[in-house]
Amino acid sequence: MNANIVIIGAGISGTAIAYYLAAKGMKDIVVVDKGYLTNGATGRCGAGIRQQWATKMNCIMAKKSVEFYEKANQTLKYPGDIEFKQEGYLIVAVTPEEDAQFSKNVELQNSLGIKSRKITKEEAKEIVPHINTDMFISATFCPTDGHINPFKANDAFYQAAKRLGVSFYFHEAVQSIQTVNHKVVSVTTDKHTFETNKVVNAAGGFAHEIGLMAGVPIPVYPEKHEILVTEPIEKIQGPMVMSFGKNLYCQQVPQGSFVMGRGTPGALHNHDIESSWEFLDEMAKTVVAFLPVVGELRVIRQWAGSYNMSPDRQPILGTVDECEGFYVACGFSGHGFMFAPITGLLLSEIILNQPTSIDMTELCMNRFKNQKTIEVEKSVV
Amino acid sequence: MRIFKHPILDFPKKKVIHFQFDGVEFSGVEGDTIASALYANGIKKLSESVERHRARGLYCAIGNCSSCYMTVDHIPNIKTCVTPLSEGMIVESQIGKGVIR
Repeated sequence: MNANIVIIGAGISGTAIAYYLAAKGMKDIVVVDKGYLTNGATGRCGAGIRQQWATKMNCIMAKKSVEFYEKANQTLKYPGDIEFKQEGYLIVAVTPEEDAQFSKNVELQNSLGIKSRKITKEEAKEIVPHINTDMFISATFCPTDGHINPFKANDAFYQAAKRLGVSFYFHEAVQSIQTVNHKVVSVTTDKHTFETNKVVNAAGGFAHEIGLMAGVPIPVYPEKHEILVTEPIEKIQGPMVMSFGKNLYCQQVPQGSFVMGRGTPGALHNHDIESSWEFLDEMAKTVVAFLPVVGELRVIRQWAGSYNMSPDRQPILGTVDECEGFYVACGFSGHGFMFAPITGLLLSEIILNQPTSIDMTELCMNRFKNQKTIEVEKSVV
Repeated sequence: MRIFKHPILDFPKKKVIHFQFDGVEFSGVEGDTIASALYANGIKKLSESVERHRARGLYCAIGNCSSCYMTVDHIPNIKTCVTPLSEGMIVESQIGKGVIR
């Protein structure tokens, strides 16, 4: 079979890239996924949408993505609703260092047009009345951050791409990528071989393995992150409450449940996505310290997914030096869902040799070779 | 709805427990759960479906299904099918997902 391009991964990034390419007129686009739609990190994510970052590139990408998501139902002609609830992110500073860093973050965010602000504990309590103000020093708040249903958003991109003629192959695992003189010539799955000179690696947690198939060592690794969800109650919390220092994010989703997660210190770099009792224990203690009332609720389910971690916690996007026709959209470090619209746009521009909407220098893979010191995004849970 | 006579089993008289349901005084007996006391008083509608407000009553009756959620002593989402009745309880019908105070 011939294809103009094969996109590996039908998560939010893969479907967004397929949508943008198809919308710009590209034909014979193939998307391959080893599972079903949204079965990987997208369907396992915390569903948060935030623009409060500490690096310039993350801020810019987040802001552009929020602007897309605000109109996504119309743009993608989605018959459903992606459920974008914009009630903000409340990020609390728990140490003097964080307090100082957050002032710098807000200054950076404001300079890029993001309407975040530094607030006092008292102001934070007005926004989230049940928060325990003994737990933090100050906070930042951005009212246009929020929550989107990842299943609906992925489906919106999928349906729009399909309508524009993109072919999807599910339950089909890529087994090898053939190259000649460091140029992509074909992609072989367990069911088909696609003759193509362009491949996109949007494989999420499996991005490193896909890279090796084309002889491209991408400096990323998978890391397990766990989440739990409570029974639903009537709405008491608008924003996501987040702490980097205390390793916590917790949001009441529109259906009424609280969804919360935290990183696992010392997590191994592998594809493990088992739920653990250790997480349940630590998560419960952490959330009850900040939001005591949440302790009244029953936990109804736990799950886990893989972050695809990059050295500077910023995504790796675009072409690679090692192989012509091989494009990467990985290393999102837990934030691929909220960056998907800009990922789709930028990859489509690079693939079609169009000028890019933003300067990509700091997102290309060769930044790790060229730079002596890398600026690491600290605002990550 | 209580069994008083049985060919094999005995049902001795038990201590009466008073409680309130939606502002009205009712009574059950020692050993009742909240839902069994309500049933004995002929009250079968315990909650409502969240979206369409259809009546919900006992379903699993073993604390798994959430069909019997009620507000008890101002605490929402109490599984009344497995919660023992106690003297002076204030039991209220719960509309919606429950309000935490």
